[in-house]
Amino acid sequence: MLLPSLLSLLLLPSPAVLAVANFENTAVVRSIELSGTLTHVATTYAAKALVGNVKTYSIALPRLEKERTSFFEVKVKGQNVPLKAEFDWDSFKARDYDVLRVTLPEPLSVGATMNLVLETVQTRASRPWPEKASQTETQSLKYDFSLFVISPYETLVQRTKVKLPHPEVHSFTQPKDVSQWAQDDAASHIGNVITYGPFRNFAPSASDVFDEQQTMQIHYPYEYPLVEIASYHRHAEVSHWGANLNIDDNIHLRNVGPELRGHFSRLEHQKQAYSTKRVSHIIPGMVLHLPAGISNVYYYDLIGNVSTSHLRTAPAPAKRDARNKQYSTLEMRPRYPMLGGWNYTFTLGWDSNLADYAGWDTTKSKYVLEVPLMTFVPSSVYTEASISVVLPEGATDVEYFPPFAPETQSVDTLKTYLDTTGRPRITLAYKNLTDRHALGTIHVTYRVPFLAHLKKPIAVSIAFMLFFALGLVGRRVNLELHSAPGLKQKTL
Amino acid sequence: MSTAYALPKDLSRATVVNTASLIRIVALSLISGAAIASRLFAVINFESIIHEFDPWFNYRATRVLASKGFYEFWNWFDPTAWYPLGRVVGGTIYPGLMATSGVIYNVLHYFNLPVDIRNICVLLAPGFSALTAWATYMFTKELKDESAGLLAAAFIGIVPGYISRSVAGSYDNEAIAIFLLMFTFYLWIKALKAGSAFFGTCAAVFYFYMVAAWGGYAFITNMIPVHAMVLILMGRYSSRLYVAYSSWYAVGTLSSMQVPFVGFQPVRTSEHMAALGVFGLLQIIAFAQLVRSHVSSKQFNNLLFYGVIVLGVGGVGAVVGLTYAGWIAPWTGRFYSLWDTGYAKKYIPIIASVSEHQPTAWPSFFMDLQLLVFLFPAGVVLCFKELRDEHVFVIIYAIVASYFAGVMVRLMLTLTPCVCVASAIALSTLMDTYIDPVQPEADEDETAQSDAGDSVSGSSATGSISGAAPKKAKKLAAAAVAAPPSANPLAELVGAATGGPRMKKGVWGFDTRFTVLLHTFGMLAFFVMHCTYVTSSAYSSPSVVLASTSPDGSPHIIDDFREAYYWLRQNTKEDAVVMSWWDYGYQIAGMADRPTLVDNNTWNNTHIATVGKAMSSSEEVAYPILRAHDVDYVLVIFGGLLGYSGDDINKFLWMIRIAQGVWPEEVQEANYFTPGGEYRVDERASKIMKESLMYKMSYYRFTELYGANPAQDRVRQQTIPKPSPTLDYLDEAFTSENWIVRIYQVKKEDHLGRDIKSANAFEGGKKRKRGRPAVGRRRAMQ
Repeated sequence: MLLPSLLSLLLLPSPAVLAVANFENTAVVRSIELSGTLTHVATTYAAKALVGNVKTYSIALPRLEKERTSFFEVKVKGQNVPLKAEFDWDSFKARDYDVLRVTLPEPLSVGATMNLVLETVQTRASRPWPEKASQTETQSLKYDFSLFVISPYETLVQRTKVKLPHPEVHSFTQPKDVSQWAQDDAASHIGNVITYGPFRNFAPSASDVFDEQQTMQIHYPYEYPLVEIASYHRHAEVSHWGANLNIDDNIHLRNVGPELRGHFSRLEHQKQAYSTKRVSHIIPGMVLHLPAGISNVYYYDLIGNVSTSHLRTAPAPAKRDARNKQYSTLEMRPRYPMLGGWNYTFTLGWDSNLADYAGWDTTKSKYVLEVPLMTFVPSSVYTEASISVVLPEGATDVEYFPPFAPETQSVDTLKTYLDTTGRPRITLAYKNLTDRHALGTIHVTYRVPFLAHLKKPIAVSIAFMLFFALGLVGRRVNLELHSAPGLKQKTL
Repeated sequence: MSTAYALPKDLSRATVVNTASLIRIVALSLISGAAIASRLFAVINFESIIHEFDPWFNYRATRVLASKGFYEFWNWFDPTAWYPLGRVVGGTIYPGLMATSGVIYNVLHYFNLPVDIRNICVLLAPGFSALTAWATYMFTKELKDESAGLLAAAFIGIVPGYISRSVAGSYDNEAIAIFLLMFTFYLWIKALKAGSAFFGTCAAVFYFYMVAAWGGYAFITNMIPVHAMVLILMGRYSSRLYVAYSSWYAVGTLSSMQVPFVGFQPVRTSEHMAALGVFGLLQIIAFAQLVRSHVSSKQFNNLLFYGVIVLGVGGVGAVVGLTYAGWIAPWTGRFYSLWDTGYAKKYIPIIASVSEHQPTAWPSFFMDLQLLVFLFPAGVVLCFKELRDEHVFVIIYAIVASYFAGVMVRLMLTLTPCVCVASAIALSTLMDTYIDPVQPEADEDETAQSDAGDSVSGSSATGSISGAAPKKAKKLAAAAVAAPPSANPLAELVGAATGGPRMKKGVWGFDTRFTVLLHTFGMLAFFVMHCTYVTSSAYSSPSVVLASTSPDGSPHIIDDFREAYYWLRQNTKEDAVVMSWWDYGYQIAGMADRPTLVDNNTWNNTHIATVGKAMSSSEEVAYPILRAHDVDYVLVIFGGLLGYSGDDINKFLWMIRIAQGVWPEEVQEANYFTPGGEYRVDERASKIMKESLMYKMSYYRFTELYGANPAQDRVRQQTIPKPSPTLDYLDEAFTSENWIVRIYQVKKEDHLGRDIKSANAFEGGKKRKRGRPAVGRRRAMQ
């Protein structure tokens, strides 16, 4: 607690700091791509330094937007390395925006320009409207956002492009009273893009005095189901004896499209199979990409094998690098078609060759394990996710490197399969994972002493020896009070 | 001395004994393996799943036991069954099965073996079948010898009559009960033979386990007294019998009363009176024997003898008197139905409606037992030849079980072990006779027989499991038992046999032996084939999933039941009450995890009749019943689209009959038939039939599926009239992919206080007679 308060003393007059403008935005372009549960937003800031030797650039995000955002990444345009970006600690103040401080790769001199790109993924920003739909009706979504990109710096021109999944749109809000920034039509709809702006000569808007912000709303039809993974638990277990990495996913699927009004009629559903007009908000199933070279794949729910699903496995790739290019395909069909608001839980798991995921680091003489974060269900949001990695019994010097900062993390011991001391288990919990998180991998390094490998065989042999010894003694102890000649028991 | 084929000459006695023992162990392990493996068809063809109906309850109860511990399980009150009555589960079940799985589960988890409780439940029956094979081996060994024991073990291991109730996934009481039955009988025989209180007590302990496991324990409760009684009547009373019976009865009865579901039944119901009576009789006889040993007057003995009879008759009279006075419960209906096969149909339709309570059809004897059917009488006759105490037991068992198996299909199960034992005795005697190398007196030359002898053992080694190992073992075992220590025990045996009184009759030559044995092995091989075929085709279907083939010939699984149950589980309120016919109660509770009105534990006839009445009445009559029982969903099974014949329309007559038993004025079976007395669902069906809830729910919107074509019901091969029935009080909530399961939601009362029918008519845009006020009111509400 001490450190933040000290910092706050140093940086206390923050409006004043913002008032001394280091930058000027020559152009800000925001493009919003609407696609169901996930909304991808990319904002490009073309900034010019007004003072010399500045190292940080501030980006302001409205509070509502920040709450929706589950992933953000700031890059210099054209480069692949993400920059260090952190939300300002005084975001906790009662303001309706938050400030993201980006550390620039190198200090800028006066008059130098640079293009920064902020990419964010918003989850559940579009909501079904109407909120209920019958089985045969179509699905439409509503998305609302704030009209202006706010910034602590002066902005010469800004514009927002909203990309729709389809040229058709039910309605979109026209900005009001924007004549001071824009000359003509502030919003236009061409093809599947709605453009807001350009708005010119914008004073620093990320401040407490700016109250010209407007909320825009777009009501658009959407032809794909809205999928949510309400909870996702991955359990990855390493076995050195079996040279095996077992992955077990526990998935709770939900259709978050418009809730079903009335009831499900199988007759209508079967009729739709013959009609050309597809009903968009029913999840009949999904195609999941699993790694190549997996075996013993299972998919079941609480009452057994999901017989409606099918699997096509790809062979293991010859070279390790090729792994991501090939994949096995699971046609996951829930037992019943999922209508709006319906749930389905299932378990999916497989074995894979440990060599594909683990290696030996000779420089540190440690094992290095790489566990993929999740099995991605296309265009879905993972509301709650927990990933646990179970290392071999007796593993020491465990270090792990999550790809994204988890909500909570813990290390404990799990006793399973003839364990005597238990195995270390790393558990990471996440919220609102999206397609941008899908390729993340958890790296774990650990050592396994030689004796730890032998722990299980030794324990089992001791147990059996004790058992046989008991048998040995038991057969030789005579508990008879007196020997009856006719009673000699013949054994097998 | 002449032998039919050459015998090895350089074997020590120890070698023969050890080899025989080893071969027996190997044979028994192989038999166990075969018994387990042949029960896994269901797991391999489908998956590791609990089968049918009752096992789903056992599985659910086991899950409670495994997750919450034994005390919770013991006091488990299940509010979701028999809604709104609930069910005291701990006091109304035989907990032996669940306790067994629970113990296995806890032991495995103690050793950190994370085996799923479902897999334990699925594989419990195959595992116990291996134990049954062993118990049958021990039992038969007491009757004849080890070789007959091995044959019997092999028979019981693969015979379809037992497999039918013990395939993997058939997690029912019978799964462990047959092992307990055989082992209790073995211990009883053992106790009786030796007069051992130890074995008697052991028998009592396993009897207790049996009581805790299966309602069929009454079979043991009566078999052992009948055996004792017959022995007494045969004049075979002995102190051995007294010790064995008294220790078994005293310990067994006291311990069996610890099972809550049994309670005081052993002293208060007629089913248990035979055991008590024989116990009393034995005490009297023992007392008389004691007196006789002290008093040597013949007249006195005679007097005592009559006194015994008078006391016995008096005892029986007392039992009858107490029954009439109400102290002892008379025979229950289920027992009456054992004597009069028409009884259940007349008085207890619920029992009669269960297919496994039907009398057995003759072909099923052959299907379940195959060649054992004709070996069985031969074995019983052979028992008469020896007629020691244990043979008397087998004879009684054979007679009693044969009768029961003829009365009720499911009691085939109790007959099967006895058939296996008797058949093994018969077949083993046959093989003894023909494998025995000793030739009778007037022998011919025995040249060129030795290599043929090898071929016999060769054929035996390549023969079936049931044939090969026992035969070989027998050969060596017989040698081991009879031969004195010498360089060549087999030769010694032959010498001893031929050295006795010269035989005039017997089997000459090798060819005769070879022919008979070849034939025997052929029969055994066919038996194995038959068992495998019957098991895989008839007894390995889980009945929760149905197998079919898709048009391209690949296997396809029809999974409608689980689809609908899982939909209920995932997408309805957790306390939504589901009404269905009682057959599906356990499955709904197990798979959908929702409260049910009635289930397969058919303890409350009235409640079932209520469901039957709701199903067979019109909507207007049924709706108050549904609402009074808080029913949210009604589930029906409809096979008309797919041709699944076990559907509710085919069971409908039983619902009507059961409802009629309670409400004879309101539901009458005759009303559901056409005037010609036919049970039809097409346009000739009676009006009451067409208006019944069951008919409407089954065929709701069915004809629309066929468009302009006639809607064909593929089970009953009848055309359903158009238009489809309409429903006013129910909404279709879910129909599975092949329409097998249809679920309807019961409408709540109308918000505006209208009756639902007129509210529906309004929604449908139909004009009501006094339409205006309703319209105005509705507008006002909006």
